[in-house]
Amino acid sequence: MPASPPPPPPRLARLLLEWVLPGDARSEALLGDLHEEFVQRAARRPVRARVRYTADALDICFRHLLARRRAAHPVSRHHGSDVMDTLTRNLRYAARRLARSPFFTLVAVTSLALGIGANTAIFSLFNAVVLRDLPLEEPDRLVNLYYADLGFSHGTYSYPDFVDIRAATTDVFEAMGGMQLAITQSVAGSSVEMLTTEAVTGEYFGMLGVGAALGRLFTPDDDVAPGAHPVVILSHGYFQRRFGGDPDVLGADMRLAGRTFTVVGVVEPRFSGSLRGLSPDIYVPMSMFEVVQPGADIFDERGNHSFFPMARLRDGVELPAVEAALGRIRDDLAARHPEDWRSTADLVVVPTDDVIMNPMVDRVLLPAFVLVMGVVGLVLLIACANLASFLLTRAADRRKEIAVRLALGARRRTLVGQLLTETLLIAMVGGAAGVTLAAWSVGLLLRADLPLPLPITVDASLDGRVLGFSFVVSVLAGILFGLLPALQGTRSELASTLRDETAGSGRGGAARLRDLMVVVQVAVSVVLLVGSGLFLRSLDASRRIDPGFGSAPAAVVEVMLPSALPDPERLALFDRVTDRIAAMPSVRSVGATTNIHLDPLNTSQARIRVDGVEPPAGEDFHTIDAARVDPGFFDAAALRIVAGRALEAADGDDPVVVVNEALARRFFDGNALGRSLDVNGLEVRIVGVAATARIRQLGEEPRPFVYRNLRAAAPTYVTVLARVEAGAAGATAQAVLDEIRAVDADVLVYRSETMERHLAVMLLPRELGALVISGFAVLALLLAGIGLYGVVSYAVARRAREVGIRLSLGAESGRVVRMLTAGGMKLVAVGGVAGLGLSALLGQLLGRLLYGVDALDPVTFTVVPLTLGLVALAAAWVPARRASRVDPVVALRAE
Amino acid sequence: MSRDGFLGEFEQMLLLAALRLGDDAYGTRLMEELDESVGRRVSRGAVYVTLNRLEEKGLLTSSSSPAEGNRGGRPRRVVTVTPEGRTELRRTRDALRTLWSGVGDALDSA
Repeated sequence: MPASPPPPPPRLARLLLEWVLPGDARSEALLGDLHEEFVQRAARRPVRARVRYTADALDICFRHLLARRRAAHPVSRHHGSDVMDTLTRNLRYAARRLARSPFFTLVAVTSLALGIGANTAIFSLFNAVVLRDLPLEEPDRLVNLYYADLGFSHGTYSYPDFVDIRAATTDVFEAMGGMQLAITQSVAGSSVEMLTTEAVTGEYFGMLGVGAALGRLFTPDDDVAPGAHPVVILSHGYFQRRFGGDPDVLGADMRLAGRTFTVVGVVEPRFSGSLRGLSPDIYVPMSMFEVVQPGADIFDERGNHSFFPMARLRDGVELPAVEAALGRIRDDLAARHPEDWRSTADLVVVPTDDVIMNPMVDRVLLPAFVLVMGVVGLVLLIACANLASFLLTRAADRRKEIAVRLALGARRRTLVGQLLTETLLIAMVGGAAGVTLAAWSVGLLLRADLPLPLPITVDASLDGRVLGFSFVVSVLAGILFGLLPALQGTRSELASTLRDETAGSGRGGAARLRDLMVVVQVAVSVVLLVGSGLFLRSLDASRRIDPGFGSAPAAVVEVMLPSALPDPERLALFDRVTDRIAAMPSVRSVGATTNIHLDPLNTSQARIRVDGVEPPAGEDFHTIDAARVDPGFFDAAALRIVAGRALEAADGDDPVVVVNEALARRFFDGNALGRSLDVNGLEVRIVGVAATARIRQLGEEPRPFVYRNLRAAAPTYVTVLARVEAGAAGATAQAVLDEIRAVDADVLVYRSETMERHLAVMLLPRELGALVISGFAVLALLLAGIGLYGVVSYAVARRAREVGIRLSLGAESGRVVRMLTAGGMKLVAVGGVAGLGLSALLGQLLGRLLYGVDALDPVTFTVVPLTLGLVALAAAWVPARRASRVDPVVALRAE
Repeated sequence: MSRDGFLGEFEQMLLLAALRLGDDAYGTRLMEELDESVGRRVSRGAVYVTLNRLEEKGLLTSSSSPAEGNRGGRPRRVVTVTPEGRTELRRTRDALRTLWSGVGDALDSA
């Protein structure tokens, strides 16, 4: 096995060095030394090597800048007259002071690092998904176009509609183009990969104003007769990943979906598709769509809505004019194609700048981000409260020193400056650690093997905006939460300070402020814990939903049979594939469906008419979810037949169907067996009734469903289910893939996974939500615990004398512990009650995101206060107990 | 070069280590040498800044030797003590010797 190449040194640290150092031969050699040392260390302890490299880099930069200043101003270091010098001096003073109390520094920096890290992580995702502009030319003249109908306010076009609308809107649009997504099988030698593909119209790149990094991009001349022009353009990412950035790739051949395509260009790096979050690997002309995605009939089928159109406005054209033009063509299309254009259908236009992914998705996405940003904001608040609280302690400890310095004539401004510098230094170090933490955790999240329905790619790299955000947050945290303690600590009540503090009994403003911090921390923690409790309970409720199918272990394999084959041959190929899978030793039964339940990317519907049941107003039929299935489907999917029978091989291609209980109840009063209905114009007989499975979502109301006979029409796109022995699903999913390839390499396999993973897709949003909120809630609880610990420790320290007296007068130590603990717990009680009240209010806002749990869920509202109480008790008890163990003599002498 | 002051302690250490290492005197080796021979651990930044200062004072010269090993393709900077550097070292050593002479008894009996 060849040794893997050594990892590169930390990029940020190296960039910092390259930026700060002069770039001469010496600096180059220094970077070389650092690199060499890093490689040696990284072989043994990679994390430590990175830390060491970064620490060295910071040290070098600091020393270098200092040396350069000294060389430039040989005198000023003695006089210290300018701002830079004061700052340097304050920094060194602060660094020395912080180094002298490493525990304090560690806790303060860790608190801030966690708070700032959480915020940076979420912000970097927000930045990547929402803020980062698509690199488009004159984006204010670009619009997104949508088709609205059937509950989709912003749906996609059908391709024939797009062609008609493009022809009819040339007066308002300078160009109109668009794309359709496909997953394309690419074969190179023995390796097979599935590539995310945008099939784009000829106008697409020109309309968006996107350029080529290499070769050329498509023009209308590339988008010609269907299937006639096999050319492909690579995304920059795929070009780098697959071809190592080799420019010789131009003119090379790629084997895509069984056809040979010629590479004609590479897109510029900054463009990664027009749909955020979905970076295509390759682009092909729209006319090649049915080649890369066989079986799709998109060029003529007006009912197939899956095309994403966009347009560039002519100069000076405003949206009302566009809407008027779209209204005209809509009326025209509705008149010409009454079968496909319902009276409620409409065409919608939205400026591209106003869209993140899709207006329908955005309506969920933005509140979700706001919610999570709110959560991490609260975590940061707690972390800052800790910082402020610790600073107040330190300020109080230093009151005597500060009072003496004030008495000796030090200016308060100078002292405040010094204290603030200390805070800012903590904030900066905490911020830097937080950014590192964020980069690491976001990388972990994005690399995680999530059961996503689509290969979603998010470039959440730390750009200037994210770093700027973290910097501003750090500085604000430092100043806002450092200023108050600094001012508080330098109040010039000299005499009283010098006198009172010796008595060791002061409970001045600083102590009250600290108490307030604890109350706020506890309240915020409670809010987060309640939120997390509600999400966890909701997840639990979702997990307990029986999807009604898939309870048996099975492999789920989505395949596409070559659409070029005539129907009988395709059916024969389908039989060969399923027979071969059925013959595998681990497989107990095999079934197939054209529309597997709970697949968010695939729904198909049928129009049914039932005698005696009126269709909805203005319609001639009922639109019902439907699939074609084979006889083995019901057993393989573990879908129970409650009446009659499943489909059977003996049915051949007879017009028979199985319906679910929901359909039987709604259309036949529960007596569906033997009855007939009209499905897409064909009279069919009901031979069986199946249990009602969840069709689109776990939490849905029972949806009517009709299982049609697969053999009545040869399928192209089909999901094969192979029910297996327990524990064999994963291995079988892999083996099935090989079996299918062995039967016919032209059968495209889109996915091959376990039933368990298929079902997990539906739970993913809830699982991620619960995981994120709970993670932050635990963090908040931890930080609040640290804060409380600090407050009680401090109270204990201040009252050491009193405790000493009590103990020496014979007080039981248990009593003293209780007394000290009770002081802390009083604050917890106040904060806890406030937090529960706040949670009850905020819980109402979560209502829509919850499933199967009340916003005032009694379990959550009981468990949270108990948990918090226990953690708080521990945090207060530990330092209190320590105080009671001190030797009274020592405690008294200490003052 | 004639100066009023003497070499600082760290400057001396670096110059001496450079003399001992000869052709092998570059950043990482200098740090190792100080650690191995006198148990002094120093930061790379301190070495870098001090070497620069010594070079600007004319006590050292440095030359780049081409990249070898795993250095991210960057050269190595080998330092050589100049005649002025040797002179300064001698001057500092002599000054210290003078001060040390006769102190031995007083130091050991304390």
